[in-house]
Amino acid sequence: MRFDFVEPVVFALLAFGVIGAGAAVVLLNRVTASALLMALSFLCMAGMFVLLGAETIAAFQVLIYVGAITVLIIFGVQFTKQGGDRSYALFFQKQYPLAAALVAAVAIPVVLFAFSFNAPTPQPGGGDIRPLATSVFTDFAFAFEVASVLLLAAMVGAIVLTQRDEPPDGMRRRR
Amino acid sequence: MTVPLSFYVAVSAGLFFIGCAGVLTRRNAVVILMCVELMLNAANLALVAFSRRFGAVDERGSVFVIFVFVIAAAEVAVGLAIVLSAYRNRPVIDVDEIHQMKG
Repeated sequence: MRFDFVEPVVFALLAFGVIGAGAAVVLLNRVTASALLMALSFLCMAGMFVLLGAETIAAFQVLIYVGAITVLIIFGVQFTKQGGDRSYALFFQKQYPLAAALVAAVAIPVVLFAFSFNAPTPQPGGGDIRPLATSVFTDFAFAFEVASVLLLAAMVGAIVLTQRDEPPDGMRRRR
Repeated sequence: MTVPLSFYVAVSAGLFFIGCAGVLTRRNAVVILMCVELMLNAANLALVAFSRRFGAVDERGSVFVIFVFVIAAAEVAVGLAIVLSAYRNRPVIDVDEIHQMKG
């Protein structure tokens, strides 16, 4: 007995999770619920990576997106007072139909065009950590170092931006 | 039966437009950051899908996904720091109310 139907069914469930949770992030008015649904969308995306055979990327997705970035955003939500988000738009203040037509005019052809791609043969499975590590540490070694410097700069920048600018006690006494 | 590549690309495009609509319509700065993360994730899905279905033995596309992870982490850290420092200056989270730097 073949289980050919399993992969399309799993893909359909994951696609529903990704798209549904993403739409809920945009449509819901409660910011904490949006943050948790964003985590659900990221988790379904990790399942899609597993389905594609990119297990390492899926592990990183769970660690970085579902773990770190979601926690960071939930902290951001908790640190700020969330009044109800006013529901009118940023750019299209009163032109919802026009905006919807414009977005649909771009989005629908693009999604239809996306359906026209087809691939010759899927890659054989069996883990992607070895080719990934080989690429990162040979061809992309310089980019890897630049990325680490970028992370350091972002860390220092976040600390500088959020620290209180009150002078320390010794400085204050001198004034 | 494997799922065709086109379905992955379609899901990626759909999620990208959902995130784009969120960035354009929502007012809450934290929600805008979340929608940017959704768009980055949609691009990741397209990169991984094309890399797995078209790629040679080395995973070039997946390497770019790693770098997108790094950029996303840096972006959300600095973005939230800016939101928090602006919030400390004046306690609003609505991006239309934050107009001190408007010319």
